[in-house]
Amino acid sequence: LFFAPHAKGTRFSPPGKPELTRCRSPEKETFTCWWKPGSDGGLSTTYALYYRKENSETVYECPDYHTAGENSCFFNKNDTSIWVNYNITVVATNALGSNFSDPVDIDVVYIVKPNPPEMVTVTVMEDKGWPFLRVSWEPPHKADTRSGWITLIYELRVTLEGEDDWEMHLAGQQKLFNVFSLRSGGRYHVQVRCKPDHGFWSEWSSTSEIKVPDYFHREKSVWIL
Amino acid sequence: LYMVASCSAVPVTDLLDRASQRSDTLHSLSTTLTKELDSHFPPIGRVITPRPSMCHTSSLQTPNDKAQALQISEADLLSLVRSLLQAWIDPLVVLSSSANTLPHPAQSSIFNKIQEMQEHSKSLGDGLDILSSKMGPAAQTISFLPYRRGNDIGQDRISKLINFHFLLSCFRRDSHKIDSFLKVLRCRAAKMHPQMC
Repeated sequence: LFFAPHAKGTRFSPPGKPELTRCRSPEKETFTCWWKPGSDGGLSTTYALYYRKENSETVYECPDYHTAGENSCFFNKNDTSIWVNYNITVVATNALGSNFSDPVDIDVVYIVKPNPPEMVTVTVMEDKGWPFLRVSWEPPHKADTRSGWITLIYELRVTLEGEDDWEMHLAGQQKLFNVFSLRSGGRYHVQVRCKPDHGFWSEWSSTSEIKVPDYFHREKSVWIL
Repeated sequence: LYMVASCSAVPVTDLLDRASQRSDTLHSLSTTLTKELDSHFPPIGRVITPRPSMCHTSSLQTPNDKAQALQISEADLLSLVRSLLQAWIDPLVVLSSSANTLPHPAQSSIFNKIQEMQEHSKSLGDGLDILSSKMGPAAQTISFLPYRRGNDIGQDRISKLINFHFLLSCFRRDSHKIDSFLKVLRCRAAKMHPQMC
C-alpha cells in the first residue's frame, strides 16, 4: 500500500515475440533472413538467430549479423547448402526474460530472387528511316549464369514520358531487345527485370532514358500535304 | 534405320537443351501441385509429416552447393540425374493411382498433373538414355534407390493427404536437382555458344 506511486512499475516487461519476416537468396549461393522485433519491454533487448539444418541435431547461431544490415542474418557461401531445410528461430532477450519467434523452415532453392539486371543501355537505331530502340543489359553480376548454376529470363517495360502505362515485353533468355513503333521526338523510359528458372522476379532496374529524334516531318509531312 | 540415323545425328547440345526444357517443366509441375495441395493441407500435417531424410532417394550422395556441383564430371552428373529419374518411376505410379482417391477438392486436376509428370519423366528418361550412350560407361552407371513403401499411401483421410504431400515434396526436391544438374550440363556442352548461358 505504501508503494502506490510505483504501481506503474509494470512498464518494464520481457520482450515481445519477434517475427521472421523474410528470407531471400539472390543467386542460389548465399542467403539472408530478416526479422521484425516485437516490443522491447522498455529495456535494452538483444536478438539472436539460431538455426538447425535437416539431418543434424546441432544448433548454430547466426554467422554474420552485420553484412545485411539491422535485424538480419547473412549466410555466406560456406554457410549455405541447398536442398537442405534450415529450421530458423529468432530469440529476443532482455533483463526480464526471453521470447521466441515462430520457427520457419526454408530450403534455399525456393527463395531465390535475383538482383536487377545491370548495365542497361538504350540506343536509337534506324531501319529504313524508321527509328527503333535497342535495349541491352547484363545479368546481375552476382548471378552465375555462365556455368548454368542459375538460368535467368528477362522482361522489359517501356513508357513514353508523361504517360502512365508501361508497355511490357518478355525477352526470354536474350540480353537484347528491340522496341519499334516509337513516337517522333518522344522521350522514353526503359526498365528491365529478371527471373530465375524457379524463383521470383527481381526488382526493376533503375530507369534508362532516351529521346527519339524527330523523324516525322522529313518524309511523311510531304504525303499529308 | 532412318530413325536411328536421325537420332544419332542430333548434337549433344540440342539433346541437353531439350532435356532441360523437360526437366524445367517437370519441376514447375511439381511446384504447382505442391501449392494446390497446400491450400487444403490438414494443420496436423505440419507436425507429423515425415522428415525429408525419410525420402527414399535421400541416401544418394548429391552436391549441396555450387562449388561441389561444378566439380563433378559430366558423366557423373548425368549418372546422378538418371539415378534420380529411375528412382521415381515406381513412386510416380503410386502417386498416380492414389491421386484417383485423394480426399481433396482439386482431386481431378491433381490426377491430371501427376499423369503429365509421368509422361515428362518418361520422355526425359528416354532422351537421357540416348545421351548417356554417347557419353561413355561412367554416364551409364545408375544407383539403384528402391521405393519400399508399397502401393498403399494410407487408410484414413489425414494419412492419405499427409503421405501424398510428403512423397510429392520429395519429388519436388529431386526434380529441382535433376533440373539444376541438367542445366549445368547444358552450359558445359554449350561452351562454344556462350550466348546461351
